[in-house]
Amino acid sequence: MGCSSSLPDGSARRLSGMDQDSAVAPDAKNLRVKLVLLGDSGVGKSCIVLRFVRGQFDPTSKVTVGASFLSQTIALQDSTTVKFEIWDTAGQERYAALAPLYYRGAAVAVVVYDITSVDSFTKAQYWVKELQKHGSPDIVLALVGNKADLQENREVSVQDGLEYAEKNGMFFIETSAKTADNINQLFEEIAKRLPRPLTS
Amino acid sequence: MDAASSNSVTFYDFLDRMRNPASIDLVGSIKSFIVSFSFHATNPVNDSKRFQDFLLTMESAIRDHPLWAGSSEEEVEQALEGLEKYVITKLFLRIFASSTEDVKIDHEITNKINLLQSFLKPEHLDIPSYLHNQSSWLLAEKELQKINASKAPREKLMCILNCCRVINNLLLNASMTENRVIAGADDFLPVLIYITIKANPPQLHSNLKFIQLYRRQSKLISEEAYYFTNLLSAKSFIFDLDAKSLSMDKLEFEERMEAAKASHQAAPVEPNAALISHHLTNIRGPPSYPFMDAQAEELTVRDVETLLSLYKDVVTKYTSLRRAVEKLNIHRPEQIVQKDKIGSTREVESEKVGIERSSAE
Repeated sequence: MGCSSSLPDGSARRLSGMDQDSAVAPDAKNLRVKLVLLGDSGVGKSCIVLRFVRGQFDPTSKVTVGASFLSQTIALQDSTTVKFEIWDTAGQERYAALAPLYYRGAAVAVVVYDITSVDSFTKAQYWVKELQKHGSPDIVLALVGNKADLQENREVSVQDGLEYAEKNGMFFIETSAKTADNINQLFEEIAKRLPRPLTS
Repeated sequence: MDAASSNSVTFYDFLDRMRNPASIDLVGSIKSFIVSFSFHATNPVNDSKRFQDFLLTMESAIRDHPLWAGSSEEEVEQALEGLEKYVITKLFLRIFASSTEDVKIDHEITNKINLLQSFLKPEHLDIPSYLHNQSSWLLAEKELQKINASKAPREKLMCILNCCRVINNLLLNASMTENRVIAGADDFLPVLIYITIKANPPQLHSNLKFIQLYRRQSKLISEEAYYFTNLLSAKSFIFDLDAKSLSMDKLEFEERMEAAKASHQAAPVEPNAALISHHLTNIRGPPSYPFMDAQAEELTVRDVETLLSLYKDVVTKYTSLRRAVEKLNIHRPEQIVQKDKIGSTREVESEKVGIERSSAE
Protein backbone atom coordinates (compact mmCIF):
# COMPACT_ATOMS: atom_id res chain seq x y z
CA MET A 1 0.00 0.00 0.00
CA GLY A 2 2.52 2.50 1.25
CA CYS A 3 4.38 4.58 -1.21
CA SER A 4 7.45 4.42 0.96
CA SER A 5 7.67 0.69 1.36
CA SER A 6 10.11 -0.38 -1.29
CA LEU A 7 13.66 0.75 -1.80
CA PRO A 8 14.54 3.88 -3.69
CA ASP A 9 15.65 2.99 -7.17
CA GLY A 10 18.84 4.96 -6.72
CA SER A 11 18.95 6.28 -10.24
CA ALA A 12 19.78 9.80 -9.22
CA ARG A 13 21.77 12.15 -11.35
CA ARG A 14 21.36 10.60 -14.69
CA LEU A 15 19.51 13.31 -16.44
CA SER A 16 20.56 13.74 -19.99
CA GLY A 17 19.73 15.84 -22.95
CA MET A 18 20.24 19.20 -21.30
CA ASP A 19 22.11 21.54 -23.55
CA GLN A 20 24.80 24.00 -22.72
CA ASP A 21 22.88 26.88 -24.20
CA SER A 22 21.60 28.10 -20.90
CA ALA A 23 24.82 29.07 -19.22
CA VAL A 24 24.70 32.78 -19.94
CA ALA A 25 21.84 34.14 -17.86
CA PRO A 26 22.93 34.72 -14.25
CA ASP A 27 20.86 31.98 -12.64
CA ALA A 28 20.57 29.74 -15.65
CA LYS A 29 22.86 27.36 -13.82
CA ASN A 30 20.44 26.98 -10.98
CA LEU A 31 16.85 26.81 -12.04
CA ARG A 32 14.14 27.07 -9.46
CA VAL A 33 10.92 25.57 -10.71
CA LYS A 34 7.47 25.72 -9.20
CA LEU A 35 5.62 22.50 -9.96
CA VAL A 36 2.00 22.05 -9.01
CA LEU A 37 0.33 18.66 -8.65
CA LEU A 38 -3.33 18.32 -9.55
CA GLY A 39 -5.62 15.33 -9.52
CA ASP A 40 -8.39 13.59 -7.68
CA SER A 41 -7.77 12.63 -4.06
CA GLY A 42 -6.42 9.11 -3.76
CA VAL A 43 -4.65 8.96 -7.12
CA GLY A 44 -1.29 8.99 -5.37
CA LYS A 45 -0.06 12.52 -6.06
CA SER A 46 1.95 12.76 -2.89
CA CYS A 47 3.27 9.22 -3.25
CA ILE A 48 4.80 10.09 -6.61
CA VAL A 49 6.57 13.03 -5.07
CA LEU A 50 7.74 11.18 -1.99
CA ARG A 51 9.09 8.47 -4.22
CA PHE A 52 10.89 11.06 -6.31
CA VAL A 53 12.32 12.92 -3.34
CA ARG A 54 13.43 9.82 -1.47
CA GLY A 55 14.61 8.03 -4.60
CA GLN A 56 16.93 10.93 -5.24
CA PHE A 57 18.25 10.68 -1.77
CA ASP A 58 21.68 12.08 -1.43
CA PRO A 59 23.01 13.10 1.98
CA THR A 60 24.52 16.27 0.59
CA SER A 61 21.41 17.57 -1.13
CA LYS A 62 19.03 19.74 0.77
CA VAL A 63 15.63 18.11 0.84
CA THR A 64 12.53 19.64 2.30
CA VAL A 65 10.06 16.98 3.27
CA GLY A 66 6.74 18.22 4.46
CA ALA A 67 3.47 16.47 4.04
CA SER A 68 2.38 18.60 1.13
CA PHE A 69 5.32 20.77 0.08
CA LEU A 70 8.50 19.11 -1.02
CA SER A 71 11.54 20.35 -2.79
CA GLN A 72 14.28 18.42 -4.47
CA THR A 73 17.27 19.58 -6.42
CA ILE A 74 18.60 17.45 -9.19
CA ALA A 75 21.92 17.91 -10.89
CA LEU A 76 22.05 17.69 -14.64
CA GLN A 77 24.93 16.48 -16.76
CA ASP A 78 25.84 19.96 -17.85
CA SER A 79 26.40 20.90 -14.18
CA THR A 80 23.24 22.97 -14.01
CA THR A 81 20.81 22.18 -11.26
CA VAL A 82 17.03 22.19 -11.24
CA LYS A 83 15.33 22.71 -7.92
CA PHE A 84 11.79 21.41 -8.10
CA GLU A 85 9.50 23.06 -5.59
CA ILE A 86 6.53 20.76 -5.54
CA TRP A 87 3.16 22.15 -4.51
CA ASP A 88 0.60 19.52 -3.69
CA THR A 89 -3.08 20.44 -3.89
CA ALA A 90 -6.07 18.93 -2.14
CA GLY A 91 -7.89 16.78 -4.67
CA GLN A 92 -11.32 16.64 -3.04
CA GLU A 93 -14.12 18.16 -5.07
CA ARG A 94 -14.96 20.77 -2.42
CA TYR A 95 -11.54 22.41 -2.84
CA ALA A 96 -11.61 22.55 -6.65
CA ALA A 97 -12.32 26.28 -6.70
CA LEU A 98 -9.13 26.98 -4.75
CA ALA A 99 -6.77 25.46 -7.32
CA PRO A 100 -6.02 28.73 -9.16
CA LEU A 101 -4.39 30.06 -5.99
CA TYR A 102 -1.90 27.21 -6.26
CA TYR A 103 -1.17 26.98 -9.97
CA ARG A 104 -0.73 30.73 -10.38
CA GLY A 105 2.86 31.29 -11.44
CA ALA A 106 3.65 27.59 -11.76
CA ALA A 107 6.15 26.63 -14.46
CA VAL A 108 4.98 23.02 -14.48
CA ALA A 109 1.67 21.35 -13.78
CA VAL A 110 1.53 17.59 -13.34
CA VAL A 111 -1.99 16.24 -13.68
CA VAL A 112 -2.32 12.81 -12.14
CA TYR A 113 -4.98 10.14 -12.52
CA ASP A 114 -5.28 6.56 -11.39
CA ILE A 115 -5.30 4.04 -14.27
CA THR A 116 -7.77 1.93 -12.31
CA SER A 117 -10.35 4.73 -12.14
CA VAL A 118 -12.12 6.23 -15.14
CA ASP A 119 -13.52 8.92 -12.86
CA SER A 120 -10.07 10.12 -11.95
CA PHE A 121 -9.22 10.28 -15.68
CA THR A 122 -12.29 12.42 -16.30
CA LYS A 123 -11.23 14.66 -13.43
CA ALA A 124 -7.75 14.91 -14.93
CA GLN A 125 -9.26 16.17 -18.17
CA TYR A 126 -11.14 18.81 -16.21
CA TRP A 127 -7.85 20.02 -14.72
CA VAL A 128 -6.18 20.11 -18.12
CA LYS A 129 -8.96 22.35 -19.45
CA GLU A 130 -8.71 24.55 -16.34
CA LEU A 131 -4.96 24.95 -16.81
CA GLN A 132 -5.30 25.72 -20.50
CA LYS A 133 -7.79 28.43 -19.69
CA HIS A 134 -6.22 29.95 -16.59
CA GLY A 135 -2.64 28.71 -16.26
CA SER A 136 0.32 30.72 -17.49
CA PRO A 137 0.59 30.33 -21.28
CA ASP A 138 4.04 28.74 -21.29
CA ILE A 139 3.29 26.25 -18.52
CA VAL A 140 4.71 22.75 -19.06
CA LEU A 141 1.90 20.21 -18.74
CA ALA A 142 2.38 16.56 -17.91
CA LEU A 143 -0.31 13.89 -17.75
CA VAL A 144 0.48 11.01 -15.45
CA GLY A 145 -1.37 7.71 -15.16
CA ASN A 146 -0.37 6.38 -11.78
CA LYS A 147 -0.76 2.93 -10.19
CA ALA A 148 0.51 1.27 -13.36
CA ASP A 149 1.40 -1.78 -11.25
CA LEU A 150 -2.30 -2.58 -10.90
CA GLN A 151 -2.69 -3.89 -14.47
CA GLU A 152 -5.47 -6.32 -13.58
CA ASN A 153 -7.70 -3.43 -12.43
CA ARG A 154 -6.92 -1.13 -15.32
CA GLU A 155 -9.87 1.00 -16.47
CA VAL A 156 -8.00 3.56 -18.58
CA SER A 157 -5.96 2.24 -21.47
CA VAL A 158 -2.49 3.54 -22.26
CA GLN A 159 -3.83 4.51 -25.66
CA ASP A 160 -6.55 6.74 -24.16
CA GLY A 161 -4.07 8.52 -21.92
CA LEU A 162 -1.55 8.98 -24.70
CA GLU A 163 -4.10 10.22 -27.23
CA TYR A 164 -5.57 12.73 -24.85
CA ALA A 165 -2.11 14.01 -23.91
CA GLU A 166 -0.98 14.33 -27.53
CA LYS A 167 -4.13 16.15 -28.49
CA ASN A 168 -3.43 18.66 -25.76
CA GLY A 169 0.29 19.03 -26.31
CA MET A 170 1.19 17.38 -23.03
CA PHE A 171 3.88 14.99 -22.03
CA PHE A 172 2.43 11.60 -21.03
CA ILE A 173 3.78 8.85 -18.85
CA GLU A 174 2.44 6.00 -16.74
CA THR A 175 4.07 5.56 -13.36
CA SER A 176 3.94 3.40 -10.31
CA ALA A 177 4.79 5.14 -7.10
CA LYS A 178 4.72 1.72 -5.49
CA THR A 179 7.44 0.15 -7.61
CA ALA A 180 9.07 3.48 -8.48
CA ASP A 181 8.56 2.73 -12.18
CA ASN A 182 9.04 5.80 -14.36
CA ILE A 183 9.11 8.19 -11.40
CA ASN A 184 12.52 9.60 -12.20
CA GLN A 185 11.79 9.56 -15.92
CA LEU A 186 8.79 11.78 -15.22
CA PHE A 187 10.91 14.46 -13.62
CA GLU A 188 13.72 14.07 -16.14
CA GLU A 189 11.32 14.61 -19.01
CA ILE A 190 9.87 17.64 -17.27
CA ALA A 191 13.35 19.08 -16.82
CA LYS A 192 13.99 18.61 -20.56
CA ARG A 193 10.86 20.49 -21.46
CA LEU A 194 11.49 23.49 -19.23
CA PRO A 195 11.96 26.72 -21.06
CA ARG A 196 15.54 27.69 -20.29
CA PRO A 197 16.36 31.29 -19.49
CA LEU A 198 17.20 33.26 -22.58
CA THR A 199 20.84 33.42 -23.48
CA SER A 200 20.81 36.92 -24.85
CA MET B 1 11.80 30.89 20.86
CA ASP B 2 15.32 30.78 19.48
CA ALA B 3 14.15 32.25 16.23
CA ALA B 4 12.33 35.04 18.05
CA SER B 5 15.25 35.99 20.27
CA SER B 6 17.83 35.84 17.48
CA ASN B 7 15.40 37.88 15.49
CA SER B 8 15.27 40.65 18.07
CA VAL B 9 19.08 40.56 18.37
CA THR B 10 19.23 41.04 14.62
CA PHE B 11 16.80 43.90 14.83
CA TYR B 12 18.78 45.69 17.55
CA ASP B 13 21.92 45.12 15.55
CA PHE B 14 20.24 46.88 12.64
CA LEU B 15 19.20 49.79 14.86
CA ASP B 16 22.74 50.01 16.23
CA ARG B 17 24.21 50.28 12.78
CA MET B 18 21.70 52.95 11.92
CA ARG B 19 22.90 54.96 14.91
CA ASN B 20 26.41 54.83 13.56
CA PRO B 21 27.26 58.26 12.09
CA ALA B 22 28.53 56.51 8.96
CA SER B 23 25.02 55.45 8.08
CA ILE B 24 23.61 58.95 8.05
CA ASP B 25 22.85 58.74 4.33
CA LEU B 26 20.83 55.55 4.80
CA VAL B 27 18.95 57.01 7.74
CA GLY B 28 18.15 60.04 5.57
CA SER B 29 16.69 57.84 2.83
CA ILE B 30 14.64 55.84 5.31
CA LYS B 31 13.25 58.92 7.01
CA SER B 32 12.35 60.65 3.81
CA PHE B 33 10.69 57.49 2.53
CA ILE B 34 8.56 57.26 5.66
CA VAL B 35 7.63 60.93 5.46
CA SER B 36 6.82 60.66 1.75
CA PHE B 37 4.11 58.15 2.64
CA SER B 38 2.05 60.82 4.34
CA PHE B 39 1.96 62.88 1.13
CA HIS B 40 -0.22 60.37 -0.66
CA ALA B 41 -3.64 58.99 0.01
CA THR B 42 -3.45 55.39 1.12
CA ASN B 43 -3.65 52.96 -1.77
CA PRO B 44 -2.61 49.39 -0.99
CA VAL B 45 -1.36 48.53 -4.48
CA ASN B 46 0.68 51.70 -4.94
CA ASP B 47 1.94 51.66 -1.36
CA SER B 48 3.10 48.10 -1.73
CA LYS B 49 4.86 48.85 -5.00
CA ARG B 50 6.62 51.88 -3.55
CA PHE B 51 7.69 49.90 -0.49
CA GLN B 52 9.00 46.97 -2.52
CA ASP B 53 10.90 49.34 -4.83
CA PHE B 54 12.31 51.13 -1.82
CA LEU B 55 13.58 47.83 -0.38
CA LEU B 56 15.31 47.02 -3.67
CA THR B 57 16.94 50.44 -3.81
CA MET B 58 18.05 50.13 -0.21
CA GLU B 59 19.36 46.64 -0.83
CA SER B 60 21.86 47.88 -3.36
CA ALA B 61 22.63 50.92 -1.19
CA ILE B 62 23.43 48.64 1.74
CA ARG B 63 25.52 46.27 -0.37
CA ASP B 64 27.64 49.19 -1.58
CA HIS B 65 27.81 50.88 1.80
CA PRO B 66 31.16 51.16 3.65
CA LEU B 67 29.45 50.06 6.88
CA TRP B 68 28.65 46.72 5.26
CA ALA B 69 31.91 46.40 3.34
CA GLY B 70 33.11 42.82 3.54
CA SER B 71 29.87 41.70 5.14
CA SER B 72 28.55 38.26 4.49
CA GLU B 73 25.37 37.68 2.52
CA GLU B 74 23.73 36.76 5.80
CA GLU B 75 24.57 40.10 7.39
CA VAL B 76 23.13 41.97 4.43
CA GLU B 77 20.01 39.80 4.71
CA GLN B 78 19.70 40.67 8.38
CA ALA B 79 20.00 44.35 7.62
CA LEU B 80 17.19 44.05 5.08
CA GLU B 81 15.01 42.19 7.56
CA GLY B 82 15.69 44.93 10.09
CA LEU B 83 14.86 47.57 7.53
CA GLU B 84 11.57 45.90 6.59
CA LYS B 85 10.54 45.65 10.21
CA TYR B 86 11.57 49.20 11.05
CA VAL B 87 9.83 50.92 8.16
CA ILE B 88 6.67 48.81 8.35
CA THR B 89 6.35 49.37 12.09
CA LYS B 90 6.50 53.11 11.46
CA LEU B 91 3.89 52.95 8.71
CA PHE B 92 1.75 50.26 10.27
CA LEU B 93 -1.25 52.35 11.27
CA ARG B 94 -1.40 53.85 7.81
CA ILE B 95 -1.15 50.65 5.83
CA PHE B 96 -2.70 47.86 7.89
CA ALA B 97 -6.39 47.17 7.29
CA SER B 98 -6.52 50.61 5.76
CA SER B 99 -9.64 50.31 3.63
CA THR B 100 -13.17 50.07 4.96
CA GLU B 101 -13.69 47.20 2.53
CA ASP B 102 -10.93 45.18 4.24
CA VAL B 103 -12.31 45.94 7.68
CA LYS B 104 -15.70 44.79 6.48
CA ILE B 105 -14.32 41.51 5.13
CA ASP B 106 -12.45 40.92 8.39
CA HIS B 107 -15.69 41.36 10.30
CA GLU B 108 -17.59 39.07 7.98
CA ILE B 109 -15.01 36.32 8.34
CA THR B 110 -14.78 36.66 12.11
CA ASN B 111 -18.55 36.52 12.40
CA LYS B 112 -18.90 33.59 10.05
CA ILE B 113 -16.23 31.65 11.94
CA ASN B 114 -18.00 32.46 15.20
CA LEU B 115 -21.14 30.87 13.81
CA LEU B 116 -19.30 27.87 12.38
CA GLN B 117 -17.47 27.28 15.65
CA SER B 118 -20.72 26.46 17.38
CA PHE B 119 -21.37 23.31 15.35
CA LEU B 120 -18.57 22.45 12.93
CA LYS B 121 -16.88 19.12 13.60
CA PRO B 122 -13.81 17.54 11.98
CA GLU B 123 -16.11 14.97 10.38
CA HIS B 124 -17.81 17.69 8.38
CA LEU B 125 -14.51 18.19 6.56
CA ASP B 126 -13.90 14.42 6.43
CA ILE B 127 -10.79 14.68 8.56
CA PRO B 128 -9.83 11.07 9.30
CA SER B 129 -9.98 10.13 12.97
CA TYR B 130 -6.26 9.29 13.19
CA LEU B 131 -5.59 12.99 12.65
CA HIS B 132 -7.80 14.05 15.54
CA ASN B 133 -5.22 15.21 18.01
CA GLN B 134 -6.43 17.85 20.42
CA SER B 135 -3.00 18.85 21.73
CA SER B 136 -1.50 19.29 18.26
CA TRP B 137 -4.55 21.18 17.12
CA LEU B 138 -4.43 23.47 20.12
CA LEU B 139 -0.76 24.17 19.51
CA ALA B 140 -1.44 25.00 15.87
CA GLU B 141 -4.34 27.27 16.85
CA LYS B 142 -2.16 29.14 19.33
CA GLU B 143 0.47 29.78 16.67
CA LEU B 144 -2.13 31.22 14.33
CA GLN B 145 -3.66 33.38 17.04
CA LYS B 146 -0.29 35.08 17.57
CA ILE B 147 -0.55 36.73 14.18
CA ASN B 148 -1.31 40.16 15.65
CA ALA B 149 1.48 39.94 18.24
CA SER B 150 3.84 41.59 15.80
CA LYS B 151 3.56 44.29 13.21
CA ALA B 152 6.39 42.99 11.05
CA PRO B 153 5.31 41.06 7.95
CA ARG B 154 8.05 38.49 8.47
CA GLU B 155 6.94 37.71 12.00
CA LYS B 156 3.30 37.48 10.96
CA LEU B 157 4.31 35.07 8.23
CA MET B 158 6.28 33.05 10.80
CA CYS B 159 3.06 32.50 12.78
CA ILE B 160 1.48 30.92 9.71
CA LEU B 161 4.54 28.77 9.05
CA ASN B 162 4.69 27.62 12.66
CA CYS B 163 1.05 26.67 12.59
CA CYS B 164 1.57 24.72 9.36
CA ARG B 165 4.65 22.99 10.78
CA VAL B 166 2.62 21.70 13.71
CA ILE B 167 0.06 20.28 11.28
CA ASN B 168 2.84 18.81 9.14
CA ASN B 169 4.36 17.07 12.12
CA LEU B 170 0.97 15.70 13.04
CA LEU B 171 0.56 14.32 9.51
CA LEU B 172 4.06 12.87 9.42
CA ASN B 173 3.70 11.28 12.84
CA ALA B 174 0.34 9.83 11.95
CA SER B 175 1.78 8.34 8.78
CA MET B 176 4.53 6.69 10.78
CA THR B 177 2.64 5.43 13.80
CA GLU B 178 -0.47 4.48 11.89
CA ASN B 179 1.62 3.15 9.05
CA ARG B 180 -0.46 5.00 6.55
CA VAL B 181 0.32 6.60 3.28
CA ILE B 182 0.87 10.31 3.62
CA ALA B 183 -2.05 11.87 1.86
CA GLY B 184 -0.26 15.19 1.42
CA ALA B 185 -2.47 18.16 0.70
CA ASP B 186 -5.59 15.95 0.72
CA ASP B 187 -5.10 15.76 4.49
CA PHE B 188 -3.22 18.95 5.12
CA LEU B 189 -5.71 21.50 3.81
CA PRO B 190 -8.80 20.17 5.65
CA VAL B 191 -6.88 20.19 8.94
CA LEU B 192 -5.63 23.71 8.30
CA ILE B 193 -9.18 24.88 7.53
CA TYR B 194 -10.47 23.27 10.70
CA ILE B 195 -7.65 24.82 12.77
CA THR B 196 -8.36 28.23 11.23
CA ILE B 197 -12.00 27.95 12.23
CA LYS B 198 -11.10 26.87 15.74
CA ALA B 199 -8.52 29.64 16.10
CA ASN B 200 -10.51 32.43 14.46
CA PRO B 201 -7.30 34.44 14.06
CA PRO B 202 -7.86 38.19 14.35
CA GLN B 203 -8.17 40.21 11.13
CA LEU B 204 -7.40 37.21 8.99
CA HIS B 205 -8.10 38.86 5.67
CA SER B 206 -6.15 42.03 6.48
CA ASN B 207 -3.21 40.08 7.84
CA LEU B 208 -2.96 37.95 4.72
CA LYS B 209 -3.24 40.95 2.46
CA PHE B 210 -0.67 42.81 4.53
CA ILE B 211 1.87 39.98 4.29
CA GLN B 212 1.29 39.68 0.56
CA LEU B 213 1.84 43.40 0.03
CA TYR B 214 4.63 44.13 2.48
CA ARG B 215 6.70 41.00 2.97
CA ARG B 216 9.84 41.46 0.89
CA GLN B 217 8.94 39.91 -2.46
CA SER B 218 12.07 37.81 -2.73
CA LYS B 219 11.19 36.21 0.61
CA LEU B 220 7.62 35.24 -0.11
CA ILE B 221 8.61 32.29 -2.29
CA SER B 222 9.04 28.57 -2.08
CA GLU B 223 7.91 26.89 1.15
CA GLU B 224 6.83 30.20 2.70
CA ALA B 225 4.70 31.00 -0.33
CA TYR B 226 3.20 27.51 -0.28
CA TYR B 227 2.01 27.65 3.30
CA PHE B 228 0.91 31.24 2.89
CA THR B 229 -1.17 30.14 -0.12
CA ASN B 230 -2.72 27.39 1.98
CA LEU B 231 -3.95 29.83 4.59
CA LEU B 232 -5.13 32.12 1.81
CA SER B 233 -7.14 29.27 0.39
CA ALA B 234 -8.44 28.29 3.84
CA LYS B 235 -9.69 31.85 4.20
CA SER B 236 -11.27 31.80 0.79
CA PHE B 237 -12.92 28.44 1.53
CA ILE B 238 -14.36 29.71 4.80
CA PHE B 239 -15.54 32.94 3.21
CA ASP B 240 -17.50 31.07 0.52
CA LEU B 241 -18.45 28.16 2.76
CA ASP B 242 -22.00 26.88 2.39
CA ALA B 243 -23.78 23.56 2.87
CA LYS B 244 -22.17 22.17 -0.29
CA SER B 245 -18.69 22.76 1.15
CA LEU B 246 -19.26 20.34 4.00
CA SER B 247 -20.25 16.74 4.50
CA MET B 248 -23.47 17.85 6.02
CA ASP B 249 -27.10 17.86 5.07
CA LYS B 250 -28.12 21.17 3.49
CA LEU B 251 -31.13 21.60 5.75
CA GLU B 252 -29.14 20.75 8.85
CA PHE B 253 -26.45 23.24 7.88
CA GLU B 254 -28.99 26.00 7.46
CA GLU B 255 -30.66 25.19 10.74
CA ARG B 256 -27.36 25.18 12.58
CA MET B 257 -26.34 28.48 11.05
CA GLU B 258 -29.69 30.01 12.00
CA ALA B 259 -29.45 28.67 15.54
CA ALA B 260 -25.92 30.02 15.87
CA LYS B 261 -27.04 33.41 14.58
CA ALA B 262 -29.92 33.49 17.04
CA SER B 263 -27.73 32.65 19.99
CA HIS B 264 -25.16 35.24 18.94
CA GLN B 265 -27.79 37.91 18.63
CA ALA B 266 -28.99 36.93 22.06
CA ALA B 267 -25.64 37.86 23.54
CA PRO B 268 -25.85 41.65 23.84
CA VAL B 269 -22.84 43.56 24.99
CA GLU B 270 -24.70 46.74 25.72
CA PRO B 271 -26.72 46.47 28.88
CA ASN B 272 -29.83 48.45 28.25
CA ALA B 273 -33.21 48.24 29.79
CA ALA B 274 -35.06 47.79 26.52
CA LEU B 275 -33.01 44.73 25.66
CA ILE B 276 -33.51 43.20 29.05
CA SER B 277 -37.25 43.67 28.96
CA HIS B 278 -37.13 42.17 25.45
CA HIS B 279 -35.46 39.11 26.94
CA LEU B 280 -37.95 38.99 29.76
CA THR B 281 -40.91 39.07 27.40
CA ASN B 282 -39.23 36.36 25.39
CA ILE B 283 -38.98 34.21 28.44
CA ARG B 284 -42.51 35.00 29.53
CA GLY B 285 -43.84 34.80 25.99
CA PRO B 286 -45.20 31.77 24.14
CA PRO B 287 -43.20 28.67 25.07
CA SER B 288 -40.54 27.89 22.45
CA TYR B 289 -39.25 25.10 24.64
CA PRO B 290 -41.12 21.96 23.55
CA PHE B 291 -39.81 19.69 26.31
CA MET B 292 -41.28 21.65 29.20
CA ASP B 293 -44.09 19.17 29.76
CA ALA B 294 -42.14 16.09 28.65
CA GLN B 295 -41.39 13.11 30.87
CA ALA B 296 -37.97 11.47 30.83
CA GLU B 297 -39.29 8.14 29.53
CA GLU B 298 -40.90 9.83 26.52
CA LEU B 299 -37.55 11.07 25.25
CA THR B 300 -35.57 9.25 22.58
CA VAL B 301 -31.90 9.44 21.65
CA ARG B 302 -32.90 11.57 18.71
CA ASP B 303 -34.10 14.28 21.08
CA VAL B 304 -30.64 14.70 22.55
CA GLU B 305 -29.50 16.98 19.79
CA THR B 306 -32.49 19.30 20.06
CA LEU B 307 -32.32 19.22 23.83
CA LEU B 308 -28.66 20.12 23.76
CA SER B 309 -29.18 23.02 21.40
CA LEU B 310 -32.12 24.29 23.48
CA TYR B 311 -30.02 23.92 26.59
CA LYS B 312 -27.26 25.97 24.99
CA ASP B 313 -29.77 28.55 23.91
CA VAL B 314 -31.16 28.88 27.43
CA VAL B 315 -27.73 29.08 29.01
CA THR B 316 -26.60 31.70 26.51
CA LYS B 317 -29.67 33.80 27.16
CA TYR B 318 -29.36 33.38 30.88
CA THR B 319 -25.68 34.31 30.86
CA SER B 320 -26.21 37.41 28.80
CA LEU B 321 -29.15 38.42 30.94
CA ARG B 322 -27.12 38.00 34.08
CA ARG B 323 -24.22 39.90 32.57
CA ALA B 324 -26.53 42.72 31.59
CA VAL B 325 -28.05 42.91 35.05
CA GLU B 326 -24.61 42.89 36.66
CA LYS B 327 -23.45 45.66 34.36
CA LEU B 328 -26.48 47.75 35.24
CA ASN B 329 -25.62 47.43 38.91
CA ILE B 330 -21.92 48.08 38.56
CA HIS B 331 -22.25 50.70 35.89
CA ARG B 332 -22.85 53.73 38.06
CA PRO B 333 -19.75 53.61 40.28
CA GLU B 334 -17.63 52.88 37.16
CA GLN B 335 -18.86 55.98 35.42
CA ILE B 336 -17.93 58.00 38.45
CA VAL B 337 -14.42 56.52 38.38
CA GLN B 338 -14.03 57.75 34.84
CA LYS B 339 -15.34 61.20 35.52
CA ASP B 340 -13.77 61.99 38.85
CA LYS B 341 -11.11 59.83 40.39
CA ILE B 342 -11.10 61.46 43.81
CA GLY B 343 -14.84 61.36 44.02
CA SER B 344 -14.93 57.68 43.07
CA THR B 345 -12.40 56.74 45.71
CA ARG B 346 -14.62 58.38 48.22
CA GLU B 347 -17.56 56.51 46.74
CA VAL B 348 -15.76 53.16 47.02
CA GLU B 349 -14.70 53.95 50.55
CA SER B 350 -18.17 54.86 51.58
CA GLU B 351 -19.34 51.63 49.98
CA LYS B 352 -16.80 49.69 52.00
CA VAL B 353 -17.91 51.40 55.12
CA GLY B 354 -21.43 50.53 54.15
CA ILE B 355 -20.52 46.85 53.80
CA GLU B 356 -18.68 46.83 57.09
CA ARG B 357 -21.53 48.54 58.77
CA SER B 358 -24.10 46.18 57.39
CA SER B 359 -22.00 43.15 58.33
CA ALA B 360 -21.55 44.63 61.81
CA GLU B 361 -25.28 44.88 62.09
